[in-house]
Amino acid sequence: DEPALPSAALTALRSARPIETLKGLEYPEGIQSPNPALNPTAAPAKFRYDKDFLMQFQTVFTDKPSTDWDERMSKTIGDIESAR
Amino acid sequence: MATAAFEIKDEQRPLNEIPVSLPNGEESTEDAIAAEGNDPTEQLTVFHSADNFNVKHPLMNKWTLWFTKPPSGKGGNDWSDLLKEVVTFDSVEEFWGIYNNISKTSDLSLKSDYHLFKQGVRPEWEDVQNKNGGKWSYQFRDKRAVNIDELWLNVMLSAIGETLEADAANEVMGVVVNVRKAFYRIGVWTRTTGAKGGNKDALMEIGKRFKDVLKLPARDYVEFSGHTESAHSGSTRAKAKYSV
Repeated sequence: DEPALPSAALTALRSARPIETLKGLEYPEGIQSPNPALNPTAAPAKFRYDKDFLMQFQTVFTDKPSTDWDERMSKTIGDIESAR
Repeated sequence: MATAAFEIKDEQRPLNEIPVSLPNGEESTEDAIAAEGNDPTEQLTVFHSADNFNVKHPLMNKWTLWFTKPPSGKGGNDWSDLLKEVVTFDSVEEFWGIYNNISKTSDLSLKSDYHLFKQGVRPEWEDVQNKNGGKWSYQFRDKRAVNIDELWLNVMLSAIGETLEADAANEVMGVVVNVRKAFYRIGVWTRTTGAKGGNKDALMEIGKRFKDVLKLPARDYVEFSGHTESAHSGSTRAKAKYSV
């Protein structure tokens, strides 16, 4: 069997770079930035994220994190119900 | 070991080498990008394009999700055989890819646990980084009255979002949910017990924030106990050292 090809979202995830600073990063309209009070300094990779910010991703990144995810899950967690 | 944990592969390339495909599916060219008014080095988040983002949100720590399988009734039921490392991740986007594709706590069998710990720390009190520590925990005894999935999600988000402790407290090791016959229990494991080498104020602050995340009323208390005392008492419910 040919291994499954990664989805476009997974390909993007693998190749994406970590954001270095929140300063100057613009989100599309309707998306709220991480609470600036939690991130008073622009130290790299020292971000704190509030729940409301994090919850915005719930319906936006839904792809399996690897092409063999279901197989891995049946080995570790077992009986996983694949909803997708 | 049946399965080894894995980390989600990174294949980062410089931004200007990442192809940006246009909505009509044509191969992008610099001209096309220029025509669209997009700079190829523009930071595109998953909110800009779920299939074509080029930056992701880093977490302050790498986290590993672990799972405790319920005993099967056959052999191989040592704790160490039942405890499985599932996946390690270090971005918000990866967290959601995982969360959206694993069983919800409310669907797990009795005697299962999820553990979300900083990479390199095993979710066992014997781990050298845990043995002088303890945990804040709360038992939900009315399992039907509680939305355990939402509470566990909120606790995980407070851990990976680094809002459970103040800067430089350096106490949180991981969070855990236990599914048992009579209760659900959620806990936050800490590096110290506030005694020698620890900071009791930092621990009390974590307890307060944890209680907040669990949305507990003032009359309910989250309790702190040291791992060693729990081990010696032969019960996971040692006498609480502190409560908030």
